[in-house]
Amino acid sequence: MPTVDIDPDELRTLADVTDVADEELKDDLFALGLEYEGETEDGDFELEFAPDRLDRLSVEGIARSLRYQYGEDRGVYVPTTTEADWTIRVDEAVPAERPYVTGAVIRGVDLDEESLDSLIQLQEKLHATMGRNRVKGAIGIHDLTMLRGAPATEGNPTIRYTGVAPDGERFVPLDSDRELTPGEVLEDHPTGREYAPVVDDYEAMPAIYDDLGLFSFPPVINGRRTEVSTDSRDLFVELTGTDQWTIDRMCAIICYALDARGATIEDVTVEYADPSVAAAAIEESDGRDEAGGSDEAGGAHGEAGSGPDEAAEADTGAPTLVRPDFSTKTKTVSHDRIESILGIELDPDEVQDLAERAGLEAETREETAVEVVSTIDDADVADETVRVYDVTIPPYRVDVLHPLDVIDDLGRAYGFNELAPNYPEIGTVGGRHERSRREEAVRETLVGLGFEDMLDFHLIGEADAYDRMGVEPGTDVLGGSDPARIKNPYSEDFGIVRPWALPSLLLVLENNTHRAYPQDLAEVGFVAEVDETAPTGVAESRHVAGVLARHDAAYEDAKSRLQALCRAFDVDLETPPTDHPSFVDGRAATVVADGDAVGVIGELHPAVLVEHDLEVPVAAFEFDLAGLGAE
Amino acid sequence: MQLPQAQLAVLEAASADDAQSVDALAAATDLPPETVTGALFALEEEGLVAVSEHVDESISLTEEGETYTTEGLPEVRLYEAALDAGADDTPAQMGQIIGASGLEGPQVDIALSNYARKGYGAIDSGELTADSDAEPDSDPEGAALSAITGADGDGGVAVDDVEVDGDVVDQLERRDLIERQESTTRSATLTDAGVTELMAGVETAETVGQLTPELLTSGDWRDAEFAEYNVEADAEERHGGRMHVLRRTAERVKEVLVGMGFQEMDGPHVDADFWINDCLFMPQDHPARTHWDRFALEEPSHIDDLPDDLVERVERAHREGVGEDGEGYHSPWDEDFARALALRGHTTSLSTRHLSGHQIGEIEPPARFFSVEKAYRNDTLDSTHLLEFFQIEGWVMADELSVRDLMGTFEEFYAQFGITDIEFKPHYNPYTEPSFELFGTHPTTGELIEIGNSGIFREEMLEPLGVEADVMAWGLALERLAMLVTGAEDIRDLHGSLADLEFLRNAEVIY
Repeated sequence: MPTVDIDPDELRTLADVTDVADEELKDDLFALGLEYEGETEDGDFELEFAPDRLDRLSVEGIARSLRYQYGEDRGVYVPTTTEADWTIRVDEAVPAERPYVTGAVIRGVDLDEESLDSLIQLQEKLHATMGRNRVKGAIGIHDLTMLRGAPATEGNPTIRYTGVAPDGERFVPLDSDRELTPGEVLEDHPTGREYAPVVDDYEAMPAIYDDLGLFSFPPVINGRRTEVSTDSRDLFVELTGTDQWTIDRMCAIICYALDARGATIEDVTVEYADPSVAAAAIEESDGRDEAGGSDEAGGAHGEAGSGPDEAAEADTGAPTLVRPDFSTKTKTVSHDRIESILGIELDPDEVQDLAERAGLEAETREETAVEVVSTIDDADVADETVRVYDVTIPPYRVDVLHPLDVIDDLGRAYGFNELAPNYPEIGTVGGRHERSRREEAVRETLVGLGFEDMLDFHLIGEADAYDRMGVEPGTDVLGGSDPARIKNPYSEDFGIVRPWALPSLLLVLENNTHRAYPQDLAEVGFVAEVDETAPTGVAESRHVAGVLARHDAAYEDAKSRLQALCRAFDVDLETPPTDHPSFVDGRAATVVADGDAVGVIGELHPAVLVEHDLEVPVAAFEFDLAGLGAE
Repeated sequence: MQLPQAQLAVLEAASADDAQSVDALAAATDLPPETVTGALFALEEEGLVAVSEHVDESISLTEEGETYTTEGLPEVRLYEAALDAGADDTPAQMGQIIGASGLEGPQVDIALSNYARKGYGAIDSGELTADSDAEPDSDPEGAALSAITGADGDGGVAVDDVEVDGDVVDQLERRDLIERQESTTRSATLTDAGVTELMAGVETAETVGQLTPELLTSGDWRDAEFAEYNVEADAEERHGGRMHVLRRTAERVKEVLVGMGFQEMDGPHVDADFWINDCLFMPQDHPARTHWDRFALEEPSHIDDLPDDLVERVERAHREGVGEDGEGYHSPWDEDFARALALRGHTTSLSTRHLSGHQIGEIEPPARFFSVEKAYRNDTLDSTHLLEFFQIEGWVMADELSVRDLMGTFEEFYAQFGITDIEFKPHYNPYTEPSFELFGTHPTTGELIEIGNSGIFREEMLEPLGVEADVMAWGLALERLAMLVTGAEDIRDLHGSLADLEFLRNAEVIY
């Protein structure tokens, strides 16, 4: 599980709860779903987070959640933004794989080492989660004073998102002191090598220019010129990605964190040269660009968004976007559903109170039942009215997909551990699967015959299953069938699903030569082989396998036990002689159960024993569990 | 008089003048020492010999003590490192000195706790000083260890044979560096009565070793005297057949669940990602679906057989969500990716198959289902993680279920294993909402540990599967429960081809 490092003192300051002791703080964080994992060398809390609340990837976001939990804040908060000065223009040469961009200008930040580290951590954690390792979205943060927009264009300073050939440009990347081409960055720079796979298939390299030249090579690395330091006061945040929604949400989370530090958020205009990209961007957005605007929920903290609500038009005729996108969304949830999921009765006031404590806002109204989004199918309620809530969701909540997610929030605000457990009075009849009962019966019989029951891995090395048993893959003997092969095994020792079970028992014998003999081991276990006629292409079955390792082990020892087993399951056993490469010639037989050839029995070949460092003879058998009863 | 053969031999070998040890008598009579001891007790009871006991005390080094004879005592090593760091002059950073001394793990604490006790210097606020007058070369504990190891034979050394102060020996014992053993030597002399009987002549009584069919049928058993056995002696070690300890735990879990009204599920280990993940509303670009977490199959690689209408509904749920206010993921969805085969990463694939109606037909509420089957994950192989593990999977379907029902069900389940006081931590799963991680208190360590993951299946998962009721579900690793119940510290002892037979043979039976 991913973790985030948080300075507890900074958390207290931002959450305004200076008097909360460490232990209490840990309990409160646990209640939010943030599990305390330990401390870093610097005394930071290491918190494990569930990857839904990505707004809690920073100390600022966790502090916000704590403030709601402590009742310091209530309802929806949307930061105010100031009017756009800067424009990001996306031109035709932008890589088709990554055409989307968003951003914001941040003014008046006051960064110390601690808050700069926190910002960088947030950026990295967002890359790792929502950004899918920068594939879906990548964030670049720049010192605004180092950027030069084009004064020649009508008024607004502008930066340009475009594409260049891998050797088409030179710039000095972060952590370097020489000029490199994007291609060279991918080959020679450590960060470049790490993220080279992201842009591997791109026809052109993504590049962002200001008047002075290329300053960012997203999603790989920024240029050194615009590097952010503790001296930076104004920032330019840009995000590029494979869809508009994802980068807009990542951008909102970054902006909320900086807003919590007292910075001012300034809008940025985004112009797409390609009208189809612009249309797709608006389509994917949560609402800011739709006619009539959104931003209905101003919240208790001020007006949301000061930029133009209606999409304007760029020179190209394509609509422009105003970013960051702080538009809220609304989910409608029924009172009945809230009560049925939480298992308690609530007043509408309580629901609204819980919503505000969860950082949401709930407007309540009555609606005719047929229109309600609910899973309760009751045809008689068509005429009745039911209570519903229109719940406003702030823009940093990337996890709310369905009204159910709102109910979860209400439950968290109520405190799930406050709910009294209730054993549901539902009558059902329990029972075992027949296959599992049969397996168990065979195991019990084997144990009665003196076998130690084994439970081996289903994954095995190809060499263990074939070569070391003297068996060739693809031959018509037990264990010779083609294996289901793993594409990316943990190691060679776990490369295939075992086609038979005796190799596993031999491994146990091999690992236990220092333990007391006799070692009479048996297993009823899973095996698989490639079979085109099976629905998944793999035939899965259970085999019964046994080994008798002792100084005087002989064929008869195995046969007498196999006879007893077959007798117990009322199966006729015959053992006509056969050849099997794992067994001594003349001492191997086919196991024929009720007329069907289902396995093999015999004395293991000395070459197989020596291969497993065994110094005692081993008599063994293996056959399909189906031989002991209909599968 | 008549005596059994062994007693007579011992009586004849004993002397009235010199006390003879059991070993000496055993050598003289060619009898095993335990037989001689048994005979002596019998003869003593008859008043024919007098038996005296002498207790010898010996000491030997423990493994830790053994280590220190070659490496030196930790506190001495610390002192030497402190001197090297110049701590006899000015206090030096403790961490650096410990690093330089090469001490590791518990030895660090041992060194620190003995350092001051022996007056090697002082420890204050993370800094060490060294007393230059200390003489670690003449450390009495070190010297005693050397003396013991010098004189040590196989079974330890008699206390009297080493010149070591008694207090030092006590101290070493407190530090677990030595062990004391006591052994009793018995010696016997003939009593006057014994001499008299011998003079008068003693005959051998007929004794019977093994009761035979001949003795029984002939009736000779009536006159036979049975040789006495040493009934206290250890017998040959036997292991016999036994059920694997983890299998027993699994059986116990199944029994509990069947008792709670759950029916067992069965289904493929190799399955399409569609059933493993897509039906669970797991986005295709979810990190857990990347190639390094799952065991994708190279051959065969894709499933042909998927219900088309279900594929369509699942795709729509991923793209658009479910319900008027629902939203989908802003993630790619590719049917080819859904058809890729892998070893199932969780047994929830059995649940999706069953819920879809394609495994055993439509299931009507109310219903409870479970499985205790293997799941596979490309994780690190270590003492708490395996590449394959048993997952306990269970779900309950009913027209209306609340989180309180979920809590009540799981409390009941875990109580069967002695785990009470469950805490529910709100959690996130792509396929459940609300979701909870379940935490329980370890019965011995008192630590709060995660024992399961649970929730109410999302509508985005149930609607495409055609389920109109509520379904709550949970899962946990059987191995984790087994470790809790058995106290095992290394999961690999419990499960797999690396198993140690000794561990399995000694594991306590679970029931």
